[in-house]
Amino acid sequence: MHQQIGEHPNWVWPIVGTVHSDTLITTWGVMVLALLFFAWLGSSYRSPARVRRTQATFEGIVNWLGDLAIGTIGRRGERYVPVFISIFFFIFMLNQIGFFPFKELGLPFGGSPTADLNTTVAYAIIVYLGIWITAIASGGIGAFKHLSQPFAALLPLNIIEDLARPITLSLRLFFNIFVGELLIFVVVQIISSGIHIGAFDLSLAAAIMPFLIQFFNFFVGTLQAFVFTLLSIVYLSLATAEEH
Amino acid sequence: MNESLLLSSVVIGFSLIVAAVAFGSAVGDGIVSSKAVEAIARQPEARPNIFTFMFLGVGVLEAFPIIALGLGLYLFFVVSGAPTGIPQVLKSLAGH
Repeated sequence: MHQQIGEHPNWVWPIVGTVHSDTLITTWGVMVLALLFFAWLGSSYRSPARVRRTQATFEGIVNWLGDLAIGTIGRRGERYVPVFISIFFFIFMLNQIGFFPFKELGLPFGGSPTADLNTTVAYAIIVYLGIWITAIASGGIGAFKHLSQPFAALLPLNIIEDLARPITLSLRLFFNIFVGELLIFVVVQIISSGIHIGAFDLSLAAAIMPFLIQFFNFFVGTLQAFVFTLLSIVYLSLATAEEH
Repeated sequence: MNESLLLSSVVIGFSLIVAAVAFGSAVGDGIVSSKAVEAIARQPEARPNIFTFMFLGVGVLEAFPIIALGLGLYLFFVVSGAPTGIPQVLKSLAGH
């Protein structure tokens, strides 16, 4: 099996050009999965008299994210809470879908879609434009006022800082997930090449590593989904902050 | 001779990158968590809030060593010939 990291099978579409087919199929699969999961979760809310374990668990997570958004943005952040909850759960599921070895089984999809720079840049641009549109819709031309804070001479620095936000947001998520896959790839290379150093079988000793790396990947995937969500909340709170 | 020099310098460069980012991120993580513990000891009722921002700090901080590890592995792969780079380096280190 010849597989190289960072290479994707391509589709050529009429208008948009070349797209990565495995990333797209996996993202669609995760969308369907997420919709089914939340439909099932929502339908379990019909009986308020009896709180089930699933409801208690996910209510805790949703409440926590909602409290976080409202506590950071203020009361007017309440209507943006569903956006942040869906960002968190969707990116979490995209990160964790790479755990299942679909691609290694020969299927045309698999791997984390967030290990593709196209995905993370798209999400960062969605968040960035969404924040700017929200700020302009709520504050009019005053949304640009915070670029010249605390005084006008800092305008170029503030513009650079503002433009760096989507770049760092996308690159942080991309590299964290991509390096997780890269580590697995490196360990597979070491295991499959059968290296002995003297009497010491290095390939056999390296066989324990994927087990530990998957724990690391799970932790990192959760943490980066959370960091992406929380940074979106913080950027929105900065962009729509009321004047003091 | 030339090839082994290249391989050894790639290994040394990779080790230096990983050592430097491991040192820096360990110090940074230590500072973040020690300050969080201090803050929780001072104000135990603010514990969920402090945990949230501790994980934000750790998440932002951990991105840099991981990016550096990715760049180091890129160096490892590309300079020593992908995709057989790492077994080749290890085999030459093992004396095959």
